[in-house]
Amino acid sequence: MTTVEKTEVQTKKEWEPQIVAFCCNWCSYAGADLAGTSRIQYPPNARIIRVNCTGRISPEFILASLEMGADGVLISGCHPGDCHYSSGNLKLRARLAIMKMALEQAGVHPDRVRLQWASASEAQIFADGVTTIVEQVKALGPLRSEWK
Amino acid sequence: MAEPTSIAMAQGSSCWGCFQSLIDIHLNLATVLPMLDIKYWQCVADFKLKDLEGYPDKSITVGLYEGVARTEEDIHLLKTMREKCEILIAFGSCSCFGGIPCLANFSTLEECLDVKFRNNKTVKDGEVPTENLPKIAPVVVPNSTIVDFEIYLPGCPPTSKLILTALTALLTGKEIELAPHTVCHYCDRERKETPLTEILRPFEGIADPDRCLLEQGYICVGSATWGLCEGQCVNHGATCRGCFGPPPPITTDQGAAAISMFGSMAPLEPEYLAEKVLDPLGCFWRFTYPTSHLGGIRIKREEAKTK
Repeated sequence: MTTVEKTEVQTKKEWEPQIVAFCCNWCSYAGADLAGTSRIQYPPNARIIRVNCTGRISPEFILASLEMGADGVLISGCHPGDCHYSSGNLKLRARLAIMKMALEQAGVHPDRVRLQWASASEAQIFADGVTTIVEQVKALGPLRSEWK
Repeated sequence: MAEPTSIAMAQGSSCWGCFQSLIDIHLNLATVLPMLDIKYWQCVADFKLKDLEGYPDKSITVGLYEGVARTEEDIHLLKTMREKCEILIAFGSCSCFGGIPCLANFSTLEECLDVKFRNNKTVKDGEVPTENLPKIAPVVVPNSTIVDFEIYLPGCPPTSKLILTALTALLTGKEIELAPHTVCHYCDRERKETPLTEILRPFEGIADPDRCLLEQGYICVGSATWGLCEGQCVNHGATCRGCFGPPPPITTDQGAAAISMFGSMAPLEPEYLAEKVLDPLGCFWRFTYPTSHLGGIRIKREEAKTK
């Protein structure tokens, strides 16, 4: 079954956005883990991908996710100044600032991409972040709806 | 002397710059031309499209296609070239990645027609011409989605040296060997590994002639660009705009790679960047928009509108 067919089946039921979440190994990934062990409730739409540092995330990851059918991308990393590798998160922040402008120019709503800072102890912030992006993307509708 | 190789050269929507660069090999033309049997070359030899259509399939050894396929005539020409040529070369960045003509994808076709014909500043009561003209495609797609190419020869234009190297290798039956380095490899400027403190427009300040332009704050995408140009621009004081596209494998997203590099070197405040980097899409994807992820999304959306 191709991805296109899958999406069609989903729109018939009730459409749920697919979110790709890139989480930093040192903070947000542990934060997401804590959210699970603390039994915090949050939408199940996010597919979490662990990266060693948010500085590892190239804009290509985000753009490829969107082109391949993700409706939104969440990036969760350490607070500025707390990066395990000292400045990886600041590098991502700069990339994302430019990328969001490029997204808007290309006609993709920048609200489809969200950056948040959540440390290993901030399970609630992580869960709230997922809720926020799911709500944002639900308001915008499926990315592919514009293609059909 | 061996039998001359048959060659066809076709031009889609483009500026003729690549073929000009071919002619610019000057005296070497004397070596190359006797090796060629020109079967089709719109502006130079007196062959018509029906002549090209009349050749048997795969009867021409080498075909060069310059430019994108914006009109239906271009698309037909490109497909005919594919049928008639054994080796089809995507000649120049437009043909490989979309290049400058594909900046039209930033706007819809109607917006383009408004600027060019209806509200053209130099014309009164302008209207879109329709008579005797081929239809314009609603969105420009990369040539590689229409036909398959054997060889990609990027550049805006490909340098005369590159064309000579590629053509002689092809005509003598050798493999074309191209170095995979980026523009930075050929750049003589010194990098001190210091982060950027400010972003400058090309006309601001006076650049240090010996230091990396990106480190000085001028946006240079040389690090994400294939250095077949051997660093012409950067060594003469101008920033690289990325005209040779991404280094091999050339299917990667050049703009994304350039932003990745730029972000690593300039960990600045988002508000400051938003104020200083005015046109990121045109700055980082100037030559490769249609083959990039963002361009792909745009093409799918525009095509969906016409269905």
